[in-house]
Amino acid sequence: MSAPALPTNRDENWRYANLRPLAKARIDAVAAPETTGSRIELPAVLPGFERWVFVDGRFDAANSTRAPDSCAELLSFGAAGETLAAMLDTEIETAGVDFALARLNGARGDQVLVITPGDGAETRIELNFVSTTSAAAGTSYPRVQVHCGRGSHLHLVERHLGSGAADAAINAAFDVALRADAQLDHCRLQNCADAASCFDTLVAHVGERATYRLRTVTLGGLSSRSTIFVKLAGREARCELLAAAIANGTQTHDFFAEIEHAAPNSVTRELFRGIANERGKLGFNGKMIVRENALDADSDQSLKTLLTGSGAEAAARPQLEIYTDRVRAKHGATTGKLDEQMLFYLLSRGLDRAQAQALLQWAFIEDAVSQVQLAPLRQEIEQLIAVQLSEVSALDGLVSRS
Amino acid sequence: MSAPLLKIENLSAAVGGKKVLQGLSLSVNAGEVHAIMGPNGSGKSTLSYVLAGRPGYEITGGKIEFEGRDLTTLAPEERARAGLFLGFQYPVEIPGVNNVYLLKAAVNARRKAQGLQEVDAYEFLQMVRAKTKLMQMDESFLSRGVNEGFSGGEKKRNEILQMLVVEPRLAVLDETDSGLDIDALKVVARGVNSMRAADRGVLLITHYQRLLEHVVPDFVHVLTRGRIAKTGDKSLALELEQRGYDWVLEVA
Repeated sequence: MSAPALPTNRDENWRYANLRPLAKARIDAVAAPETTGSRIELPAVLPGFERWVFVDGRFDAANSTRAPDSCAELLSFGAAGETLAAMLDTEIETAGVDFALARLNGARGDQVLVITPGDGAETRIELNFVSTTSAAAGTSYPRVQVHCGRGSHLHLVERHLGSGAADAAINAAFDVALRADAQLDHCRLQNCADAASCFDTLVAHVGERATYRLRTVTLGGLSSRSTIFVKLAGREARCELLAAAIANGTQTHDFFAEIEHAAPNSVTRELFRGIANERGKLGFNGKMIVRENALDADSDQSLKTLLTGSGAEAAARPQLEIYTDRVRAKHGATTGKLDEQMLFYLLSRGLDRAQAQALLQWAFIEDAVSQVQLAPLRQEIEQLIAVQLSEVSALDGLVSRS
Repeated sequence: MSAPLLKIENLSAAVGGKKVLQGLSLSVNAGEVHAIMGPNGSGKSTLSYVLAGRPGYEITGGKIEFEGRDLTTLAPEERARAGLFLGFQYPVEIPGVNNVYLLKAAVNARRKAQGLQEVDAYEFLQMVRAKTKLMQMDESFLSRGVNEGFSGGEKKRNEILQMLVVEPRLAVLDETDSGLDIDALKVVARGVNSMRAADRGVLLITHYQRLLEHVVPDFVHVLTRGRIAKTGDKSLALELEQRGYDWVLEVA
């Protein structure tokens, strides 16, 4: 089969992404390993969660701990597609260049994890995607479909981690659907190896009075790009999108998030906090669409980036497309440097400059990270951020306790 | 006799190219409390920032010695570690950095500079709690972000709490009394008085004499047009209160 056309920096929603690693990676899926079940270093299992582990995009039974009554199962791609189509009230639009990576995932991947909490069920699942293979040997294609039944509540933790080869290529795709009154708490941590490229496409469909909370923390990889489409399809549907990212060295983290208000009284809360150090680059393009019938929709965007290196770049862009008058849409975007007054205050208390700077960066990003409600996961993330910002010791005592 | 705690000689300083301090001289010995009063724009805050080493405050002439060392060659953090403390007129809010963390970092920075071990976490917390109580602050303030959502009065109390915890050799308090009601003023005064000791000095920069009813200074200086125009004892503060600053200008 011929390779589908991939996005380039000339495409409108892809200007800030670093697409070079994508172009260089071998497009075929990483071959299934000859032996499975080798020991992989992972954080402790979150209390009450069932654990799924995927290595280079493939299910790793030996490292997973499935619940006996699990609502998640592994399907072949064709079967999963039919399941999702049957579950949704409307079709998810997947044409155009923004979905090219998701289509590539569909064409090259072969396993799909389908998670279907039944009506009223409360479920906790963590997904760990571990990359061990160099991009020269192939790409990982994780694929997950989530369908939350009426009034169900799913706590979903998704980690992307590296082990072994530093330059893995990941192309993940998520399809999410929430029935009426469902709640999905989805926490995503991208902490891939230094030279990895991590691309993902997420499409979500939120029904009546349902709430989708997506908290995403991006720390690892040389190049990452998240493409997020959320449709608030039912009355009073709600989306809380919170993203935090730190780009050090020559890292590039790019986000495109389009949230479509397609029903009355739908609500969005979007918050981005990003730090670009050294020659790091950050992009966050938050597009908000309010359809004609989305009367009294309410959207709030707060996008802030902090530049601390002379070669660092950041672009935080809120976009609004509004087709009704009865709407409340608030948006703010700032790109700035460390506050000189705060810095001087800390210096005047005897803290050295590096510690004071790390502390202020910590405070900036903590604005977002403090909203990760799952305490053990928040601590795990805070530890990683402390390491990324400075020596751990300098920020010891700030990591929250459970 | 040992060197004065602070010795300022003929100091000139400019902010944004504008001359603010013009030949200021002042000497503070250990054990003394000095009050500096003066009208708006006389250079009071500039003096405090110059002492603390704030960027943008340029020394154009004169000398500042702290315990015999040239203060002007030290970075702001080195001045703090040497035992200089500035209580800010407008303390900044730093959400996300909690108060206890900052207090501990400040104490440990100074201890490290003195070649001492870090404080014991338990003893430190006990000490901070006692001082928080003295300042009539709720303990919940300790776990909140630095000055985050504090009222004006709470911020000023927090400055004094920081001073009590770091135990500086010289505290420069820049209009710590402004914006305080009488009860808060008494609490702040109690904090400052509890710091008075034979080996410490205090420089109180103030606009009004009412703080000086509660913290009785050894010396009162009038700062006008960037220099000390008159020095006296506590009675000078009362005279200023009654007659204003203009007569000092006429005499000077």
